[in-house]
Amino acid sequence: MTTLRSFSARADIEAILADRNAVRIDVPVLQPAEPFLDTAGEELRRRIFLTQNQNGRAMCLRPEFTIPVCLQHIEGGAPSGRYGYVGTAFRQRDAGPSEFLQAGIEDIGETDTNAADARSVADALACVSDLGVRADKCEIIIGDQAVFDQVLAALGLPSGWRLRLAHAFGHDATLEATLDRLAHPITMPDLPESILQAAQSGDSAKLEELITTAMDAASLSNAGGRTPAEVAKRLQAKFAQSQLVPEEAKLDILRKFLSISVPLDQSVAVLRGFEKDNKIDLAPAIAVFEERNKSLIAAGLDLSAIIYNASFGRRLDYYTGLVYELRSRSGDVLVGGGRYDRLLPLLGAEKATPGVGFSIWLDRIAEASA
Amino acid sequence: MITLALPSKGRLKENAIECLSSIGLNVLPPADPRSYRATIEGRDDIEIAYLSASEIAREVAAGNVEAGVTGEDLVRENIPDSYNSMKLLAKLGFGAADVIVAVPDSWFDVHTMGDLGEVAAGFRALHGRRLRIATKYWQLTQQFFSNQHGIQLYRIIESLGATEGAPAAGQADIIVDITSTGSTLRANALRVLDDGVILASEACLFAGKKSAENPLVLELAQKLSARK
Repeated sequence: MTTLRSFSARADIEAILADRNAVRIDVPVLQPAEPFLDTAGEELRRRIFLTQNQNGRAMCLRPEFTIPVCLQHIEGGAPSGRYGYVGTAFRQRDAGPSEFLQAGIEDIGETDTNAADARSVADALACVSDLGVRADKCEIIIGDQAVFDQVLAALGLPSGWRLRLAHAFGHDATLEATLDRLAHPITMPDLPESILQAAQSGDSAKLEELITTAMDAASLSNAGGRTPAEVAKRLQAKFAQSQLVPEEAKLDILRKFLSISVPLDQSVAVLRGFEKDNKIDLAPAIAVFEERNKSLIAAGLDLSAIIYNASFGRRLDYYTGLVYELRSRSGDVLVGGGRYDRLLPLLGAEKATPGVGFSIWLDRIAEASA
Repeated sequence: MITLALPSKGRLKENAIECLSSIGLNVLPPADPRSYRATIEGRDDIEIAYLSASEIAREVAAGNVEAGVTGEDLVRENIPDSYNSMKLLAKLGFGAADVIVAVPDSWFDVHTMGDLGEVAAGFRALHGRRLRIATKYWQLTQQFFSNQHGIQLYRIIESLGATEGAPAAGQADIIVDITSTGSTLRANALRVLDDGVILASEACLFAGKKSAENPLVLELAQKLSARK
């Protein structure tokens, strides 16, 4: 670990990143805190090192690099860019030191997403191998947020369920708890009689009118929050849902899907089989797998050595497709990567800008290659 | 000789003194009424220090006083790892107040934390921003939302007073606040979620981990617990 902190080791990493045609980028250690909290949620607040600048603006030590790199990309105004970074990130973790050396490549604005995905995985593997970790000493796991979303849509689950499940995706315990909760029927809460009647009779106009009146009375109408239409829509959906028997069968299919874990070269066949057995349509997702698998082969990767795990994901709602990890044999995450097409618009990019990237935990690499 | 910290003003102070007298400990007002020190009749082994309720939590945690009477909410919110670092020795039956999650009453579709999680997950897509929670209880809110209910997609807006007014003022969408009778919530057209009680707080006798074994503190704890 100490060796990696020395200048020469950093220079090596810079050379490795440059070899992958990434333009070196430096981002300030001190960053505005707002973008991190806004994208990752309040949970991050406990983990970052917060301070204030003279104007009272909340600043933090950079907890990671993707967001600062994206912000700098947006500010630069170029349509696309491949950026390589190396530096210290600061984040409190349950175990281990709170500052750690990271390096990575962010590929922003490349519209051929399958090729960019494949290249990102190939880059990550190449960097790790250049750093002295042999490929047979680690395992590669990939997941795909988009497939999960498509399974939810194909099953025809109520929209509220889909939101809850999609949000829980990537965290096994939360997902399991959510599935359990959904297996129980929902009961309608106590509501004012007029509201209940309007919801029961499906009279949206009346319902909205009643909600508008209630919001007006509470001076909420101009407060910029939820609208009467939004509340009415969700209330009606909830009412419709309370009339349904919980769809055990669908939840079972979902559980079956989440238990899929196969080498990537079998992924298309397994997904097709799953599609057929359960009579649902996953054609778009499977097409993406086929194309991406071709790109991965073209990038020189061995698909049989990559595991596709259907329940693997990240609980950050800006990840949209591929997510992947390289883990050491002892289970440490050496590299984390993924596609974040929702992130740049969220950070203020004016038009849709795709992005994919990875981050290497250099301290762990030092241990894994030792 | 121990120091017992009591709230320095208001109902909490009166109730704490009454509570002590019910177990035979009469607090003698200080000679100078502006003084923040007092004694107990016939007990020169217990000294009283009047402090603000939130200072009591800190001073007990720091070990500067052996024991103190304060609201559980203040301890849980302000003292890191309070379940391990401090001992709750007796619940005193006054100062009852719940730390709650409340939403506008007109959110007829939201009655549980599960509902709120759904609304939070879809909030940015509809409004271009996260769901905002006004509160002064940062820690309790984060623990309850993130750890207990797996809800991450929200932002906390710090609110140091008149929190119930935040939704109508457009500062926040919902609130986490303390309530005893619920009348302020009702007046502001807010409603507590069915499973939205984060903490049912009341005034308690707290001690630091070490001073909880002090015989004088134990005596206080036993008498106060046996009182009800």
